[in-house]
Amino acid sequence: MKVPTTLRISAAAIVGSLALTGCISGGADDGGDDDDTIDIGISLPLTGDFSEPGKGVERGYEAWAAYVNENGGLLGKQVELTILDDQSNADRVASDYEKLINQDGVDLVFGPFSTRLVIPAAQVAQDYGFLFVEPAGAAPEVFEQGFDNLFYAAPAVADDHYDHLADYIEQMPAGQRPETAAVASMDDPFAMGTAYGLRDRLEEMGVRLVVDEVYPPNTTDFSSIAAKIANSDADIVIGGTQYQDAVNLIIALQQLDYQPKMAAFSTAPTNPEFPEAIGEQTEGILSPTGYTPEAPFPANQEFVEFYTEMHGNPPGEDEANAWSTGEVVAAAVEAVGCADPDPECQQELIDWLHENEVDTVVGPLSWDETGKPQGAHLIQQYVDGEIRIVLPEDQAEADIVPVKPEW
Amino acid sequence: MPSASDTVRAPRAGLATALKAVGLLALVVAVVTFPMLAANPFILSVGVVIMSYAVLATSWNFVGGFTGYMSLGHASYSGLGGYATGLLVIHTGINPWLALLAGGLLVAVVAVPVGIASLRVRGASFVIVSIALVLIMLLVFQSWSELTGGSNGLRVPRPFGPDVLRPEQHERFFYIHAGLLAVALLLWWVIDRSRFGIGLKAIREDEDKAQALGVPTFSYKLVAFVISAFFTALGGGLYALWFGFLDPIFQFSILVGAYMVLMSLLGGIRSLFGPLLGAVIVGYALEFFKAEYGDTQFHLVALGLLLGIVVLFMPDGIIPALTGLVKRFTPQASSIREVTQAELAEQRRLGQAGEEPPGGPGDTARNVAEGARS
Amino acid sequence: MSLLLQSIVLGVLLGGLYALLAAGLTLYFGVMRVVMIAHSAFLILAAYLAWWFSTETGIDPLVSLVATVPLFFLVGVGMQRLLIARLRPATMTMMSVLLTFAIALTIEGLLGYVFTGTQRRVRLSYGGGDFEVLGANIAVVKLIAFGLAAASLLALFLVLTRTKFGQALRATIQHPEAARLVGINTERIAGYGFGIGLATAAVGGTALSLDSTIYPSLHWHWIGPLMAIIVVGGLGSIPGAAIAAMVLGLGQSLLQIPLGTTWAQTFFYVALFLTLMLRPQGFFGGRLAQRF
Repeated sequence: MKVPTTLRISAAAIVGSLALTGCISGGADDGGDDDDTIDIGISLPLTGDFSEPGKGVERGYEAWAAYVNENGGLLGKQVELTILDDQSNADRVASDYEKLINQDGVDLVFGPFSTRLVIPAAQVAQDYGFLFVEPAGAAPEVFEQGFDNLFYAAPAVADDHYDHLADYIEQMPAGQRPETAAVASMDDPFAMGTAYGLRDRLEEMGVRLVVDEVYPPNTTDFSSIAAKIANSDADIVIGGTQYQDAVNLIIALQQLDYQPKMAAFSTAPTNPEFPEAIGEQTEGILSPTGYTPEAPFPANQEFVEFYTEMHGNPPGEDEANAWSTGEVVAAAVEAVGCADPDPECQQELIDWLHENEVDTVVGPLSWDETGKPQGAHLIQQYVDGEIRIVLPEDQAEADIVPVKPEW
Repeated sequence: MPSASDTVRAPRAGLATALKAVGLLALVVAVVTFPMLAANPFILSVGVVIMSYAVLATSWNFVGGFTGYMSLGHASYSGLGGYATGLLVIHTGINPWLALLAGGLLVAVVAVPVGIASLRVRGASFVIVSIALVLIMLLVFQSWSELTGGSNGLRVPRPFGPDVLRPEQHERFFYIHAGLLAVALLLWWVIDRSRFGIGLKAIREDEDKAQALGVPTFSYKLVAFVISAFFTALGGGLYALWFGFLDPIFQFSILVGAYMVLMSLLGGIRSLFGPLLGAVIVGYALEFFKAEYGDTQFHLVALGLLLGIVVLFMPDGIIPALTGLVKRFTPQASSIREVTQAELAEQRRLGQAGEEPPGGPGDTARNVAEGARS
Repeated sequence: MSLLLQSIVLGVLLGGLYALLAAGLTLYFGVMRVVMIAHSAFLILAAYLAWWFSTETGIDPLVSLVATVPLFFLVGVGMQRLLIARLRPATMTMMSVLLTFAIALTIEGLLGYVFTGTQRRVRLSYGGGDFEVLGANIAVVKLIAFGLAAASLLALFLVLTRTKFGQALRATIQHPEAARLVGINTERIAGYGFGIGLATAAVGGTALSLDSTIYPSLHWHWIGPLMAIIVVGGLGSIPGAAIAAMVLGLGQSLLQIPLGTTWAQTFFYVALFLTLMLRPQGFFGGRLAQRF
């Protein structure tokens, strides 16, 4: 009994130290970069809380790289992506970019997913002088941090997502306009940004706010929030939601038989799984979106075709934003004529983007000095069982349904 | 006031001291030269993270190692320390290092009522409170967004200006972390040899007997707990100054607390350098798992399995196991007085099977009594 | 007024599930002095099994109970025999916490590994269904979950008070040495106690899956409130835990009206700290499993 115990312990200790040395040697061997390719480093949440959208962004990046390589590459060189998993963790995302820039010696970096991860990642990129174009970090806070290397490759920041809907409500005759509003938002910079953008506009035009709730991410029991909203019987319900929380909230509202005149939820309704999860009762639900496969921009048709061929289904918003991130960086690289980690080259890229407009699959993009894009989102609505663009009118695919049918 | 056991141990001390001095010197040299040997700033940043783990694990060990009370929620104190430091710097504009110290003291004050609530009852409620505290802190810091920035996170200004480049920052913070670690280790060593330390260890071995022998168990536990919270907060604050961004989800995470426990247990909670060794191993292992099994949830399984194996098969950690191995080749101890904690632990394990093992709790208690008399 | 009534209804429905789960935790603590951190991880595991069963076969998730309850009972017995019993008695409380914590992490990791981190929800035809009682809406799924929890709790209570096995179990909890002297095989009884405890997680998880989204790290969301409940109720007392679960569940639901969702959650922890400060032995039970 005596010997085995000791042996077991020392064996474990040896295994531990082996793992240690294995890690050192494993960490040091890569990092060689040859000049025939342009290496692009990306950290994405492939596991953990943000893994679903993270994987969407990954598909978008990979499709973009494949497309670029099929069409002659960037500056005549092939593009190679190095994608690390940050486990949806802020400490990890910073360490990932540190690794990509210093150890893997990448030439360019693309941004990660989610506001929570964008800020620490952008800090690292800035410290090393890298251009940082990101596909998903729409919360206003991202642009208040004083990053001069950051650009958001989508049409609008979170606050402006509902602008078209707010304009539409403002135009309504006084009698038809909603009088009361109920807001419930996830405690997440992006989700709150979208909901509060609309909330503040509505309050400005005299709509009374009767419920204003915030729930922690990962809340699963929405019955109490739903009870409050149902009790207030607000005319319009606004959900600052991501995906599953919207489904849960809507089901909880249905359980309480609450029937609003308008219902607007961010993100979730644009998800193809949404109608399946809610069932028949999607009719009339509104949602802002930065992207639709039907968008008329010339680059978009090619994108949709290429992506559909690759994956068998049309791209979503995350994929499109990733793709447009690639387009934005590529435009700068082609214009400036360099793509290497040298701070001077990176600075030229940054300066170029501040001064120019780039055509992308989500439309032409330009930025103010904080990296904020200057645009608004389209408003979609479920009309006759399908999600259609209803606002702004010049891009509408269907007429808006002003009073939501019962769900 | 040397304790009885020290004087008895003196004859063999010469060689051992020399060996220890060499080991210590080697450790110091390794730490000092690491930033110069690091191949690139990424390796250096990993070094800072591991150093930070070492500080946290050593701080945890003030309560976990001495008293045997395992806190799974020490992330509360590191997170609070981080936020306290960051908020003090942002709102009062005082010197960041002063803010760090003030933050640590503040957290120590907070730890007093928590300690009173959780240490009055033995065992179970201590762990429950420690977990609950992390969860409550997470809720509070997410919701109180006017103060904490909520889920948007809080950006902490850096103590060094923009002219200090990032790799240089890593290097400075590596040394600062090492300095803090040295202070924590020194204090641990001093306590280990004091009457206070013997009292604490008596609590760990058998709280009832310790109490019967007149050890003021509650206040001893509380003091150790507060010291531990103070150093953990310093570690958290230092990390906040280095990393520059705080998000409640990652600051008040159960996993961070679990890492502290795993590191300390793995290295050996009764040894001075146990948590440091554990931090190095676990820190490297984390990087290793991420590199090898990056895009799966496997790291959680690995953490869980490793913790389970340590708890089941080697609850005394690596260092005692190794010293036990070395001791087998040296002449056997002639007197019970020369038995170290680690050996005691070994004997206790071997003599498990129900009966009271020789040289068990009673001896530590005897030491206490002697310590009290001398 | 209707909001108040609605909140009371919701609080009671939630409290029922809490009560069942807290009863399981109390059993572990009673028989082995083990604080079972992995309880809520098994809860989520059961919910995942129910979801998986339902999506694979299209049959109602409730049917999965037929398999999960015996399975979890066996796992519980095995866990007690093979893992918990190996720990040194002197450090049992602390080490069992760490061990069950490790089990919780492993379960969470494996769930993420097998089912990914995507949030899941069982789709039920009656998912949005409700009926009205005195102005309050009661969701059908919540009522089923509550009924399931209440029935299990009642069954547990009857087993403990009316059967020979229940007597032996209670004796083991109250005084293991004495129980051994009167010829009770306390080892075996402790194993069964553990198994029954884990079976409550199977029932709870299935009930949870009816009306909630599940994801691997959800168990942290449950373990805090459950820990608070067993401390407030008095470690080791099943009726105490059940009462505390009802009171706290109701309290949380009502506090959401003035405080909002997030702050209302802190209610559990405030209750926990107050209990430890004022009455460390808990409010509803006796001192550590002295009474039943």
